[in-house]
Amino acid sequence: MGILNLLFANRDVLNIEDIDVYEKHGGYAGLRKAVGMERQAVVDDVKLSGLRGRGGAGFPTWIKWNGLPKNYDIPHYVICNADEGEPGTYKDRELMLKLAHTLVEGMIIAGYATSSIAGYVYIRGEYVEPAWQVRKAIDQAYKKGYLGKNILGIEGFNYDLHIHLGAGSYECGEESALMSSLMGERGNPRLKFPHAPLPTVSGVWQSPTLINNVETYCAATWILANGGEAYSKLGTERSKGTKIISVSGHVHKPANYEIEMGTPLMELLETAGGIKGGKLKAVIPGGSSVQIMTAEQCTKINLDYESCAANGTLLGSGGFMAFNDRTDIVLLMKRTAEFYMHESCGKCTPCREGTRWIFKIMDRITSGNGQTDDVALLLDVCSQIDGRSYCGLGDAAAWPIVGAIKAFPEEFDYWIKYKRSPVGKNAVPPTPEVVNPLLTLTPA
Amino acid sequence: MSDNRLTQTEPSLNPATADMINIKINGLDVQVPKNENLIESAKRVGVDVPYFCYHPRLSKGDAANCRMCLVEVGMPGPDGTIRMMPKPQAACTMPAAEGMVVQTDTPKIVKDRKGVLEFLLINHPLDCPICDRGGECPLQNNTLFYGPPTSRYIEEKRHYPKAYPISEHVVFDRERCIHCARCTRFTEDISGDAQLGFLKRGADMEVNTFADTEYRSKFSGNVIELCPVGALLSKSYRFKARPWDLHSQKSVCSKCSNGCNIKIDYRQDKIQRINARINEDVNEEWTCDRGKFGHDYVSSDNRLKTPMLKQNGEWMPISWTQAYALLAEKLKAAGSNSAGIGGAHLTNEDNFQFQKLFRKTLGSSNLDSRTDRVHGSETTLLSDRFGYHGMGNSIAQLQSFKSYLIVGSALADELPIIFLRVRKAYRFHGASVVSAISKKDSSSPNVGDFATVEMIYRPGTEIALLNGILNILFNENLLPSNPGVDLKGLQQSVSDWTPAKVEQETGVPAAHISEAAHILAAGTMALIAGKEIREHPHYETVVAALGNLMLATGNPENLNIPERVVNAQGAKDMGILPDLEPGYAPVAQLGKNAHEILESAAKGELQALWIAGEQILNTYHDKSLVRQALDQCPFVIVSELTMTETALLADLVLPAASFAEKDGTFTSCERRIQKIEKVFEISRDIKADWLIFSELAAMIDGSPIPFSAADIFTEIAAAITEYAGISYKSLGDGGVRWRSESSSTNTKIFTAIYTPPAKN
Amino acid sequence: MSSSEISGVREPQPDPLKEYRFSEDAIAEMEEIATHYPERKAACLPTLWIAQREYGGYLTPPAIQEVADRLGLSFSEVEGVATFYTMYNLRKRGRHHLEVCTCLTCAVLGAYDIVHKLEHELGIHLGGTTSDGEFTLSEAECLDFCGAATVMQVGDKYFTQLTENNVMELIDQLRGSPDYTPAKLADAIVKIHVPLSSQTGGGSSKPEDLLLPAGPML
Ligand SMILES: Cc1cc2nc3c(=O)[nH]c(=O)nc-3n(C[C@H](O)[C@H](O)[C@H](O)COP(=O)(O)O)c2cc1C
Ligand code: SF4
Ligand code: FES
Repeated sequence: MGILNLLFANRDVLNIEDIDVYEKHGGYAGLRKAVGMERQAVVDDVKLSGLRGRGGAGFPTWIKWNGLPKNYDIPHYVICNADEGEPGTYKDRELMLKLAHTLVEGMIIAGYATSSIAGYVYIRGEYVEPAWQVRKAIDQAYKKGYLGKNILGIEGFNYDLHIHLGAGSYECGEESALMSSLMGERGNPRLKFPHAPLPTVSGVWQSPTLINNVETYCAATWILANGGEAYSKLGTERSKGTKIISVSGHVHKPANYEIEMGTPLMELLETAGGIKGGKLKAVIPGGSSVQIMTAEQCTKINLDYESCAANGTLLGSGGFMAFNDRTDIVLLMKRTAEFYMHESCGKCTPCREGTRWIFKIMDRITSGNGQTDDVALLLDVCSQIDGRSYCGLGDAAAWPIVGAIKAFPEEFDYWIKYKRSPVGKNAVPPTPEVVNPLLTLTPA
Repeated sequence: MSDNRLTQTEPSLNPATADMINIKINGLDVQVPKNENLIESAKRVGVDVPYFCYHPRLSKGDAANCRMCLVEVGMPGPDGTIRMMPKPQAACTMPAAEGMVVQTDTPKIVKDRKGVLEFLLINHPLDCPICDRGGECPLQNNTLFYGPPTSRYIEEKRHYPKAYPISEHVVFDRERCIHCARCTRFTEDISGDAQLGFLKRGADMEVNTFADTEYRSKFSGNVIELCPVGALLSKSYRFKARPWDLHSQKSVCSKCSNGCNIKIDYRQDKIQRINARINEDVNEEWTCDRGKFGHDYVSSDNRLKTPMLKQNGEWMPISWTQAYALLAEKLKAAGSNSAGIGGAHLTNEDNFQFQKLFRKTLGSSNLDSRTDRVHGSETTLLSDRFGYHGMGNSIAQLQSFKSYLIVGSALADELPIIFLRVRKAYRFHGASVVSAISKKDSSSPNVGDFATVEMIYRPGTEIALLNGILNILFNENLLPSNPGVDLKGLQQSVSDWTPAKVEQETGVPAAHISEAAHILAAGTMALIAGKEIREHPHYETVVAALGNLMLATGNPENLNIPERVVNAQGAKDMGILPDLEPGYAPVAQLGKNAHEILESAAKGELQALWIAGEQILNTYHDKSLVRQALDQCPFVIVSELTMTETALLADLVLPAASFAEKDGTFTSCERRIQKIEKVFEISRDIKADWLIFSELAAMIDGSPIPFSAADIFTEIAAAITEYAGISYKSLGDGGVRWRSESSSTNTKIFTAIYTPPAKN
Repeated sequence: MSSSEISGVREPQPDPLKEYRFSEDAIAEMEEIATHYPERKAACLPTLWIAQREYGGYLTPPAIQEVADRLGLSFSEVEGVATFYTMYNLRKRGRHHLEVCTCLTCAVLGAYDIVHKLEHELGIHLGGTTSDGEFTLSEAECLDFCGAATVMQVGDKYFTQLTENNVMELIDQLRGSPDYTPAKLADAIVKIHVPLSSQTGGGSSKPEDLLLPAGPML
């Protein structure tokens, strides 16, 4: 357990973003191996590896790869979800910035395994620098014949990769909203199974579509190069391999750490240099959408899907945020609520109205106007959103609030009773007086 | 209750299909078509699932947003035990599957509905007392039945400027909007102008037009009915009435020949508003703005309330007794030297009496209801090749072809409901549309919005264009192999109409013509011709050319040249034609057609001319001829609603009842006979046209006066084979088509290629 | 009627009479990008980026109309897209658009202090633009480089590990600089869509100029 650099093995190699250097370090071996296998064998290898989606939900990757229909009268597409928007997560950024070729290779492998005609890398618009690296990687891959027509001399294996940039919307990381955005629409989510077919049957442009996270494709590259079995030997019973955890917050050495699944949370915290500016108070292990854990709970958690779930939180996308004891949890949650209010697409009632209401209650509490039953109200409003919204953003907006109330009830009570922060001059200062608020409710 | 529900959102039950499955709703077993949504399935067992955003005619992709219709759903596992899904599911998009178990009334669902309504009311202004929707508002109703009694929201609500007009007809109160996306989906899915859209996102999201511009659409009124709250309002109805104060009468729109089913909501003798009535065969549940907002004239202050006589250039009111005496005297004297024009705006009953007055009482066959430029006999060329009527297809059929050729028609203006069917075929069934017109229609929406090819030809070059298309079809072997007729002559005659030559002649790029030809030959095709064809100086030849195209492509039944005026079809059926009696029986003594009537009147040869409900000065192409005719004819009678320009040129003007003040039937362009009913009476002295004709005939020759329109209809059904077997009663709410596709006497279709006479 | 039965978009019909602003290179870029997708409509986001560049860093109604006409979409549809995403500017911005991430990690590590400092030093409030048109100050949702908090995006570049103390240095460097402008951001994003081999050089800068060294790697 602990740090284990599989995907990151060559991260610090000089000029690894150049295809020649990348190839010298074993690059595109996975692809060469894959195209020497039957398509189904590639899927089986991914199945053997036990890889689960690294975008947050942890869905077994091979099921998706296997789910695309095997008749090819309509085109199939591969999409990479590089819309990394989850607060606390920045692993995809580093992967693209340094290891764009690993991603490109993974997407070509996926394209081969699913007989797709094209792939799209959907990168959030803010990620200009990482996107340039992907652009260069794709162009180099074309030159070397890894993309284009009859790839690696295989008759009929034609596959193109395109980049599509977003334009500022967290919701577009949700896979169906991402597809809307890719098709040139507002980033609204689309009907999901069982209301509509799975994307693997009818996704973008009503074609079978495979959609995975950047890290998932990078892991697939490693798996094809080194064998699914090798991967499956790492990690825990049901969480195989490694996971890149983006550590940030009050730690001495914030960075992306690739760890073996099942590494104790405290071990990672140690590796990241430990807490700075005070004692450990809380950790959000998987990005802002998951429940916050108290210092005491942290000692029990291992970083894998099952252990996190058993402790009432989620590994999510691996956005690990640690907070010291000068952090005001209520203010932190108010900022979280503001994030979800701002990022709600507005399509469905619970999320559109609920996220705003949550923010208003949090705002009320943190401006000294909390009412005695506000905590109960918050819990109820959250319960009215959770599971009732059109897509996962509603759930993601409710969970952290509920989690924080569970983990730190006394801080909410303190704010409501004494109308000030329980942590003195706190680490999250109140929001500055907003003259042009993000949320304007009167038309300009 | 359902009749008073303004939103016409009652989902229509899907017909049973071959694929029926068994599900259980609240413990009740029911068979439903596979994949039916659960709202409709629940209806089958009388279970009400509340909803806002769901609408059976709008696309589902943007639905399921209000979350009002949540239900608990379980599916049988492999071992047969039911496993409930952890999250509640939106019934409106949930497809029914074998063995599914649905619960709509668990405590969890009751709470969820309360939650959704509480969220919706957070920002709703709750200004119900001054809201037009009050009393027929789905938000009110659902809150009453499913909502929380109080709100826990104590913050400031969202504020927008209150009601402001976004178009000529529609006022928008954005504060009340609940973001159900019905209006935006309507403009995208149904009307196709895509004028309303969502802007911004999250709690800021709002419905608006592009850059705050005017909402320009020919169908804007529908969004008022679709809106489940009082956010989109009718400018003319605003603050006019409470819904429970209104009376409602079923009727049929009189603005064009589509025959849309409507409901007239009125108070005393004033129409307050017009809403659509569902008729799946005609307008589904839509109306166009012309129909919805265009009936103010009925209650206008300018309505004629007594007969008016012009004496020495002065108009003076006279009594009906005086009017009848004068009419009897003058018409009797004129005898066969009298003529009647009009009828396209009258009911069948009016027309039947109209022609009886002239043919039987006065002995004149000088009758014509066609005042657009179509002349010549109805019996010759067109009737034996094309039948007596304009449409080969029914309106409903027009949504199911693979491709369409729309010729010379601003379809959305001329026949809005047929336009919606074509648009539906394009939007929901992937049809391709080719539009050919001489002047590009730039209003919104129009066929050009979604036509794959738009051919703008020089006026009058239709035949060249059609020849060009045929030329490509022949040369590229795109035609069906077995047309059933000999096409050699046709092929020969179009052989020198090469694309290049046609381009030069018509101004349409050869590439477009070729693309059009390919589209039209690709599958079943329907042709709809409009105003430019009807008014074509060589009408018959153009129609023949259109017919040739249809015959060659194997679609002889699908030629449609619909009438445009409300009862133009019916007037012809009733024999308001110089050469045909009711039921298209040839007359013994040929009368004069409209053009000949006007010419002989202008020459002073006619002694009396009756213009019935026709503003001929506007509709006839040769205005100076009309003026001259009305000037020279010694006695001109006009029966009208108001003093129109035409009426001003008459000698005697009679106050006639509008469609809202009389009973009767209209026959729509697709030959659908539909009932209108008397809604109110504005004045005792306004008479239905049929009554005027009947009372006058009685004075002249003692013919019996029928008691009612229904009586006349019985007589019509007895006299006309096309109407045989139809009774006032059997018309029902939706009307009956004569010679419908299902009956054995199908519409007449082309059987032979027509070669136009050589041009000189 | 499932959404899969709904058919697509009408053919584009740019109106010859309208005054359009897309340069020939921009049109070439747009057409190249449109070939990446089976439907023209999918080029909506990239084309809005082109418009944002061609119209000087923000989208006016005519810009939206031009995009709609060139792609064969309706105006309100494109406006709906343009107003959904936060990176499309609907109003003119300063030469440098300072977007300070104030989301969780950054907030905890002093982002609001930086915002206050900038507000104070530049004399503007959040959302405001300095009178000389140099800077517009905004708050951003998570820029997802939390490890390098506090992060600020200016144009096409992330500036990282900012503090109250070093932020004004950065501001001084930016003042008057032609780099990192909203138009350059738009240009970079457009360029990224197009393979380097078929880039026509439509914008003001060469792609390699935009390839800045990444922020401090951790
Ligand atoms: C609101 C929301 C935001 C999301 N954002 C992202 C994201 O930024 N990046 C990502 O990879 N997945 C994101 N996801 C998860 C995706 O929907 C999806 O599960 C993932 O792309 C699948 O890839 P995987 O199987 O490789 O994990 C998000 C989900 C939700 C509900
Ligand atoms: S939960 Fe609803 S409003 Fe929120 S992002 Fe999803 S669809 Fe949009
Ligand atoms: S009716 Fe089902 S969500 Fe609105």
